[in-house]
Amino acid sequence: MAASKSQGSYFAVFLLGSTVLCGGIAYFASGTGKLLLLVGAAILLASLAGFLKIKPLEGETPILASPGLMKWVGAGVAVLGWVVTLGGLHLVNGNGGRIVVALLGIGVSCFGILYVLPAAFNKTAFWKKPAGASTRASISTLAGKGTMDAGFTAPPGAIESARMESAR
Amino acid sequence: MKASLRNHFLALCILALGSTVGRMAYAQTAAAPAQPAAAPAPVPPATAELREAAAKAPTPADLAKGDPGGILTGTMADLTVTDAKAGPTLADAGNQIGQNKVAINFVWTLICGFLVMFMQAGFAMVESGLTRVKNANHTYMMNFFVYGCGLLAFWVIGFAIQMGGAAGNGNLGGLYPLAAEHSISLFGKTWGVFGKTGYFLAGTSYDVGVMVIFLFQMVFMDTALTIVTGACAERWKFITFSVTSVIMGALTYPLFANWAWGGGWLSQLGTNLGLSHGYADFAGSGVVHSVGGLTALAVCLIVGPRIGKFNRDGSANPIIGHDISAVLIGCFILAFGWFGFNPGSTLGASSNGNLRIGTIAVATMLAGCTGTFGSILYMWVTKGKPDASMSGNGLLAGLVAITAPSGFVSAPSAAIIGLVAGVLVCVSVSFIENVLKVDDPVGAISVHGTNGLWGVLSVGLFADGTSNYGGSWNGVPGSVTGLFYGDAGQLAAQLVGISTLLGVVFTLSFAINMVLEYFIGHRVSAETELNGLDIPEMGQLGYPEFVFRPEPGFAKAA
Repeated sequence: MAASKSQGSYFAVFLLGSTVLCGGIAYFASGTGKLLLLVGAAILLASLAGFLKIKPLEGETPILASPGLMKWVGAGVAVLGWVVTLGGLHLVNGNGGRIVVALLGIGVSCFGILYVLPAAFNKTAFWKKPAGASTRASISTLAGKGTMDAGFTAPPGAIESARMESAR
Repeated sequence: MKASLRNHFLALCILALGSTVGRMAYAQTAAAPAQPAAAPAPVPPATAELREAAAKAPTPADLAKGDPGGILTGTMADLTVTDAKAGPTLADAGNQIGQNKVAINFVWTLICGFLVMFMQAGFAMVESGLTRVKNANHTYMMNFFVYGCGLLAFWVIGFAIQMGGAAGNGNLGGLYPLAAEHSISLFGKTWGVFGKTGYFLAGTSYDVGVMVIFLFQMVFMDTALTIVTGACAERWKFITFSVTSVIMGALTYPLFANWAWGGGWLSQLGTNLGLSHGYADFAGSGVVHSVGGLTALAVCLIVGPRIGKFNRDGSANPIIGHDISAVLIGCFILAFGWFGFNPGSTLGASSNGNLRIGTIAVATMLAGCTGTFGSILYMWVTKGKPDASMSGNGLLAGLVAITAPSGFVSAPSAAIIGLVAGVLVCVSVSFIENVLKVDDPVGAISVHGTNGLWGVLSVGLFADGTSNYGGSWNGVPGSVTGLFYGDAGQLAAQLVGISTLLGVVFTLSFAINMVLEYFIGHRVSAETELNGLDIPEMGQLGYPEFVFRPEPGFAKAA
């Protein structure tokens, strides 16, 4: 589908809802503010529902389903690192100790961000699929258009060699 | 002769001003009605001299003859007086001096803000130049529209969250309307969480100083937003980019900016826990660049790599950008804009230690230079060629890294920080691509994320304790001093900031974009991606007269 009138319309609704919602937050102390907050939230939800409705109209993406739980675990580990750092501030008094605990917390966060999350997303990465083994038949047919192989990958060095060939 | 006389009187005025400074507080009140006194009050000698100087000032007739040397323009005759009949008073002179100080700071901050705004053009050129021609319009449009999305969101709510409790900056007249910070009590201390005034710039925030700080902070925020567009280029749906940019400008960026700059809890680590001066981030290596870089990483993970980026064995294919000239010119534009970014972060050029602006500008220049050297030499030595795109990234990495410490470090330290950044960006690009298997077409995660964190850390190492912005920083007396100059507490505070960026900012960005993935979806269809995003997403090619040739590598593979 790519960009469309529906997308533009729902984006306009999203902006309207967001603005009204923020108006409600700004004047929350008054009755009008509370009303604006509710109206804004309703408009915002309507825009999200609209986005969800038109999402299937988009053509198939190459992304394959990957383990959702593992993604949230990765995010959770990142937060855990921050909690470790904050905890250290209150449990340890000296600067040296606080530096060590903060480094530990940063290490935990990095483990979540740099190990768990990429592993979750790459577990079923589309580029790992062998040619012709794509789980998505409709995408595989795109290969017939002479633009790509079925697994959305190119052989090692193919791009570079083709570029050099065309340059010659 | 006239100039000498004028200087003499001005010197007298300044001396007299010091002795009667108490009167200044009443300077702008209307003159009291004349009382029927028995005898006229004696005129203080200093005031008499002011009036004498005013009498001797050039008249309109003198000025009408022209002033080619500039010695007649700008005299006592230009002083704004409250009572023209009585003539100038010391209060009038004091008012003028105070207003001049704030005016200098307003002009400085605004012009620096304008420079930072122009960085958007640099980002657009760099990012578009590093992508393929079939996506040029889409990449340029993201860089163009992110300005509007961010500005709107920041005006509506972002500014209030960030700066709503940031009153007290004397450089810009006090910013007293911004006086409400939402705080929580924890472990017996009060911690700021977000600001509460300044929504829509309405009500009491309809104030000259507030407008100046809004403009300056807004362009900073937009810089953070535009970092993400480069990392996710060539496969990101325009609608999802638009929505996430609005949310980032409204919530993610302002929240961390409040904690660091708006009187929030990170800035209170010094006063509440004794961690030296609390989290110190002079111009935003953490607030701007790490926030942008880490958000870019979060979205890049979700949106996935471009088709053809990785082979089945996990090895990466280089996908060369279409216009290296745009990349390098864009880098120069960014380096130029950085002179607004860093020196402008003093928020003034007059008083309170702000004459350090020259030191900051030189530190910025040096770090960019050594960053370029770092990356060029690294690539030349390890790969055999002084890679152009990595050279540009090295320049930007040096500038990103010096952004936080620029206000606190010496020139040699700046050079070291930049050099490390130049090498670090090359190593980081390789790590992110080859180990994490994350596709970042422009290297934004490495330039801004990795080096933003390095910049934050370097404050805790290299700050030399010589800067003195009014005698304190984050409410703690004295100058910011790093570990190498004897203060380990500052390093601890910086590490807490880094931990917060990783644990909170990254995770918040990730969670928001996972929700958007569910409702809207980040990735364009495979067909759109292969044909180029220009026509399907934007309806127009970036270069319509170019003959588009499908990716030869894929054609051959098929």
